[in-house]
Amino acid sequence: MTNHNRARRRLATVAIPMAAGLLLAACGGDSGGSSNNGQEPQTISFAFGSANPNEHYFQDAAKGYEKAHPGVKINIQKLPAESYATAIATRVQGGNAPDVFQAESGSGQTDAVGNFAKGGLLIQISDPAVRAALPKGEDPSQFLYNDKVVGIPIATAVNGIVFNDELAKQNGVNVTATSTLDDVINQCAAAKAKGKAIFGLAGAIPANTGIATMEFAASTVYGPTPDWDAQRKAGKVTFAGTPGWTAALESLKRLNDSKCFQPGAVGAGFDALTNGAGQGKIFGFFAPSGAAKSIMDGAGGHVKLVVLPMPAPAGTKTYASVSSDIVVAGSAKTKSPKLVEDFMKYFQTPEGTKIVADAQGTIPVNAAENATLLPQYATVEQTIKNKDVRGFGTVNWPNGKVYDALGSGATGVLTGQKTPEEVLKQMDAAWG
Amino acid sequence: MTALEGQTTAVADAVDTAKKPAGPQASSRLIAYGHWWWALPALVLMGTTIYLSTAAGAFYAFTDWTGAGPFNFVGLANFTRIFQTPELLGSLTNTLILAFGFLVFTNVIGLLFALALNRTLKTRYLLRTLIFMPVVLSPIAVSFIWKFIFSFDGALNQFLRSIGIDSQTDWLASPKLALGCILVVMVWQNIGFVMVTYLAGLATVPPELEEAAALDGAGNWRRFRSVTLPLIQPSLAIATTLTLIQGLRVFDQVLALTGGGPSGATETLATQVYKETFTYNAFGAGAAMALLLSVLILGFSIVQQYATRDRSQIGG
Repeated sequence: MTNHNRARRRLATVAIPMAAGLLLAACGGDSGGSSNNGQEPQTISFAFGSANPNEHYFQDAAKGYEKAHPGVKINIQKLPAESYATAIATRVQGGNAPDVFQAESGSGQTDAVGNFAKGGLLIQISDPAVRAALPKGEDPSQFLYNDKVVGIPIATAVNGIVFNDELAKQNGVNVTATSTLDDVINQCAAAKAKGKAIFGLAGAIPANTGIATMEFAASTVYGPTPDWDAQRKAGKVTFAGTPGWTAALESLKRLNDSKCFQPGAVGAGFDALTNGAGQGKIFGFFAPSGAAKSIMDGAGGHVKLVVLPMPAPAGTKTYASVSSDIVVAGSAKTKSPKLVEDFMKYFQTPEGTKIVADAQGTIPVNAAENATLLPQYATVEQTIKNKDVRGFGTVNWPNGKVYDALGSGATGVLTGQKTPEEVLKQMDAAWG
Repeated sequence: MTALEGQTTAVADAVDTAKKPAGPQASSRLIAYGHWWWALPALVLMGTTIYLSTAAGAFYAFTDWTGAGPFNFVGLANFTRIFQTPELLGSLTNTLILAFGFLVFTNVIGLLFALALNRTLKTRYLLRTLIFMPVVLSPIAVSFIWKFIFSFDGALNQFLRSIGIDSQTDWLASPKLALGCILVVMVWQNIGFVMVTYLAGLATVPPELEEAAALDGAGNWRRFRSVTLPLIQPSLAIATTLTLIQGLRVFDQVLALTGGGPSGATETLATQVYKETFTYNAFGAGAAMALLLSVLILGFSIVQQYATRDRSQIGG
């Protein structure tokens, strides 16, 4: 009996590790089998930011790609625009990036491809056809790293004022592409008396005060000095030493002091813009031109919006800020690199470009000069044809801190916490 | 000796005998093994997940790492920058204001509620539940609700207007008021926790002692100062230590209510750590600030523990 028990124990000491080993081997064999078929996963994730529930251009592009590629599944991750840049940067830096995601070109914003590419976190595309299809007339370096494409622009947009021209005129307010800042300011009191504001501002969101100031800077800084960023990089100029930057911040302050913004503008978020525009309490707000279409769609066609350049201060020529800075990028850690690259390239195909431009209400990248623009661009069409346009300066800035200092500092100028000079010195310090 | 006393002594002797181990050698062996092997898994887990990762993070505080790729050692440059940058010094000041404001207001109000709801009041159980309820809610969710209350067209301004005060205050956009608004939300949500801690302490205070003091002519304040407060010393130490630590690492409420604005007026060390690390890709600078915050918490906790130590044990 004792011998029998000993024999059983010995058998167990041999059998248990053998069984465990066989189980592990089986698991390993199974895993190897699945990876040996050479097929990468055909399901990828795609993240982007959205300020308006009616925006659907990224979803449309994903659906278009899925339709053209049966068997491919793209899982959408729609994140709030207010916190998108920080959220996506945290995920990419933390090794938890979606396979494909919306980003900014260059290196001047938190979610800019240049910052991620430095750490080897992005897929790099060496296909010369992709490089050749980048926007003509824009600095290609904003889409490249090590001479390879890391971000593919989805469309070209005017960074200006999305404006309800009809409603404004009904209330006796007239703003056009040739209006000066003083023309606008002179009408603010009358609009306020009717319970309206000419412009809405999301003062609590640095990106909104930032884009407003950059739109002024398109005329006050980049208008007379198109290569200002290159000069700053070379150390020939500074923010604090350039009168155009002071003028841009002071122009924003003048609008605020003249009650051109909605009450409570300094502490408002993006919801104040969409709600204010939807309820007809504000006539316009500062945003990339794509925002016009999503609001018109949301209003069921009852609202007609147009796109205007930011009116320059008196004595300064008005330039429109036009850029293709919104891009799609791919995570270097994806398990489906070929699929990710192919989906990114889809945004350069005629089909993909059309889907995005139509659904977003923007201009297709490299659109022909005689191309018909959407009706909302009629007000700014002549400005574009005259080439009175400048890019979006931040793409050439070295890090996201400079733009954040501008956006946050602009709010500080409005609250009286800071002077324009202090903000500009802070930007110079952030430049490094 | 009565029969009862004799029986009690016999039971006590029996318990003592039962407690005695089989032999002194067996006892020492058990204790020796127990100390080592029983605590080792927990120690290893703590060491690797907390202390090792903290040490690794502290290492990066002396580098210029961007969060990816190679890095260089920069010595104390990150720390020097913290103390030379007005915005970062402002964050340190805000952190201290919020921490000590939170410590004082939460403990004073929480203790007052605990004293009020300790005995006698018939509805005390219902009121305790109502006051404790915000503690179980997510700080982010609570902060977003308060954001609507504080907003320009929010409930607070509407209430003020309804009682005849024409309030045009933009509470969260005002550099002077925004920090106070954050403090209000922090205190409001955590009063319940502090109240429960003090209620636990008050439950150990024998009513006879208070009655005896009252018979001796001690007033309310005197009874509280000389009888209740010394007896709830352990609760005081726990509540103040935890609220101080919680106040120093405040993050959720700031991010949800103001995002650090307007123009950095409500930035704290914790929000700056997050911004430097993930928004500006300055992992080294973020790690330096995190290390500074950890040292601050450790230092203040030690001082606070010393200040609220049980003085009855001093001098044996």
